[in-house]
Amino acid sequence: MIDARRNFATAALLFGTAAGMAGLAYASVPLYRLFCQVTGYGGTTQVSGQAPGAVAGRTVTVRFDANVARDLPWRFEPEVSAIKVAVGENVLAYYRARNISDVPVTGTATFNVTPHKAGPFFAKIECFCFAEQTLAPGEEMNMPVSFFIDPEILERPEAKDIGEITLSYTFFRAIPANRS
Amino acid sequence: MAYGTSDAHGSHDHHPSGWKRWAYSTNHKDIGTMYLVLAAIGGLVGGLMSWLIRLELSQPGLQYITDLQFYNVLVSAHGLIMVFFFVMPALIGGFGNWIVPLMIGAPDMAFPRMNNISFWLTAGGLVLLLTAGFTAGGPGTGWTVYPPLSSNEYHPGPAVDLAILSLHVGGAGSILGAINFIVTIINMRAPGMTMHRMPLFVWATLVTAFLLVLAMPVLAGGLTMLLTDRNFGTTFFKVAGGGDPILWQHLFWFFGHPEVYIMIIPAFGIVSQIVSTFSRKPVFGYLGMAYAMAAIGVIGFVVWAHHMYSVGLDVNTRAYFVAATMVIAVPTGIKIFSWIATMWGGSIRFDTPMLWACGFIFLFVLGGVTGIQLANAGPDMAWHDTYYVVAHFHYVLSLGAVFGIFGGFYYWFGKMCGRQYSEAAGRVHFWLTFFGVNLLFFPQHFLGMAGMPRRIPDYPDAYSGWNMVSSLGAVVTIVGTLWFLWLVFRTFTAGEKAAANPWGPGATTLEWTVPSPAPFHTFEETPRIAPEPAH
Repeated sequence: MIDARRNFATAALLFGTAAGMAGLAYASVPLYRLFCQVTGYGGTTQVSGQAPGAVAGRTVTVRFDANVARDLPWRFEPEVSAIKVAVGENVLAYYRARNISDVPVTGTATFNVTPHKAGPFFAKIECFCFAEQTLAPGEEMNMPVSFFIDPEILERPEAKDIGEITLSYTFFRAIPANRS
Repeated sequence: MAYGTSDAHGSHDHHPSGWKRWAYSTNHKDIGTMYLVLAAIGGLVGGLMSWLIRLELSQPGLQYITDLQFYNVLVSAHGLIMVFFFVMPALIGGFGNWIVPLMIGAPDMAFPRMNNISFWLTAGGLVLLLTAGFTAGGPGTGWTVYPPLSSNEYHPGPAVDLAILSLHVGGAGSILGAINFIVTIINMRAPGMTMHRMPLFVWATLVTAFLLVLAMPVLAGGLTMLLTDRNFGTTFFKVAGGGDPILWQHLFWFFGHPEVYIMIIPAFGIVSQIVSTFSRKPVFGYLGMAYAMAAIGVIGFVVWAHHMYSVGLDVNTRAYFVAATMVIAVPTGIKIFSWIATMWGGSIRFDTPMLWACGFIFLFVLGGVTGIQLANAGPDMAWHDTYYVVAHFHYVLSLGAVFGIFGGFYYWFGKMCGRQYSEAAGRVHFWLTFFGVNLLFFPQHFLGMAGMPRRIPDYPDAYSGWNMVSSLGAVVTIVGTLWFLWLVFRTFTAGEKAAANPWGPGATTLEWTVPSPAPFHTFEETPRIAPEPAH
């Protein structure tokens, strides 16, 4: 009645399943990141090498939003609050950051765009948010972001009503242990 | 195996005695008993905490508990203890270990030594959790342990680490126990007992065990991330390092939603056995009942974000989770209707177990209905984190799962200890508890509708009336609990000898074919299952 070999085989399968589920919990981090990059989910912006150049058809208003976490002693604001952008055109915009403390501080920025469905069409070529930024005491820095609106926005039906995109950044104090 | 047959028989009769019988036990009945004792301890400790909470909430203002972190710790520990160290050990470890091998005609669990370590890991988990409560202010994180509150920024001491360790250890015990159940049920059924002829309690345990194997490791993974975030500088849940606290909520509820079915499905199984026994009819729609549990288990894995409507999910995601959650009402409805159809036309006896089973059905339907309301993302924005949610999940768990536990207790206690409880005393216990818990939890719907937030020890005067009523309900349940303890004591000291089958022809499962109390070893000779329809 008790078939030990069969019992061990079933148990081994189940231990494997449990280990796999624990692995999936960890894999959820890279998988979710990949999912967001591919689909632009949650307003995740795209990264691209080169702008295709302005195409006729539509202009989009891009608004710039800047936030600073409570424990980061920085002033951080966009140079202009909004610009009109032709689809496909390569745009260079600046944010201004100033360290108002008397010690050097390193910050790192998270970002997205709203409406979230604009994520797949908002491509960055270069951005201060790709790396951590360190400001000396009292130092002020212009932080550039170079981007374009993907012309595919003209073709996709779900993107028809996107007339305005808000690009948002939040600066946090970078965690020292993470700086390697 | 190497010894002769007669020697093997001889060694069976000399099982270890004294403390070794229990500490080293590999016997499914002894381990089941230990789980039930652990659950009783957990239930009393967790219950004591809830009574302290109700004491403080009986009036507006802070009167008995002025240390607010202590209040947070009470709320957190009450939730964790009731979930992990009361309901789960009672339903799965306790009744599962005791009854599943008996029901399928197996001599014991597939891996008796692993069974032993499962129990001791669970017991160790409870000790660790209680230790956490007395360390560095205690873990005041809620049972959901959300960061950033559970991060080292807001809980710098070792309390949360100990609580995490407790859940790790208890979770490991649950996974090992679940694997043991699956292997036992799949491989060790008596000849003739096909999967489609297993008693529904065995089906319930099988589905529960699969949920545990799939969900518990995700909690373990999330807890490990939290532990390394707290102690080793990782930033899984810290935005500044590129992490996201919402990730914890996703991982936690991917475990947490199946977890609520882990707590209720074994109770489904117990209620099915009881309703069938006391209606003297096979369960109506047996296959539908079995696969409804499996369906609830499967759907339970794809609805987790209905606990997180307020985190900023976009409208399409919320629409999906609303729809998926509503779907669960279908298999649940199949179960409710099948229980009623089982009773329909049966010759019903309202003995104590049947009272608890009927109480379960009534209260679970009530809690299920508020669940359907809360499944809607729109209204949930208003009800999120109010006493409406507290009332909902106490109706399905505190009243549902716990009524299942008491039903199972009265159903099988004679089989376990060999003495029958006093029927009159059992009925008094039921009515005291039924009245008490309804008085306790029903007014909390009104408080939640009126906007009273959960986990807060103080409230405006406007909420004082129903809070007082609710606390009086807690007093009634205290009386009911004391009555229950007295009943157990009286059964052990003065109970009548229990018959092998005290329930008559309605009780058709295999555990009623062995004497009461069930001997130390049963079904060493495999029973043959007669070819008749399963119940």
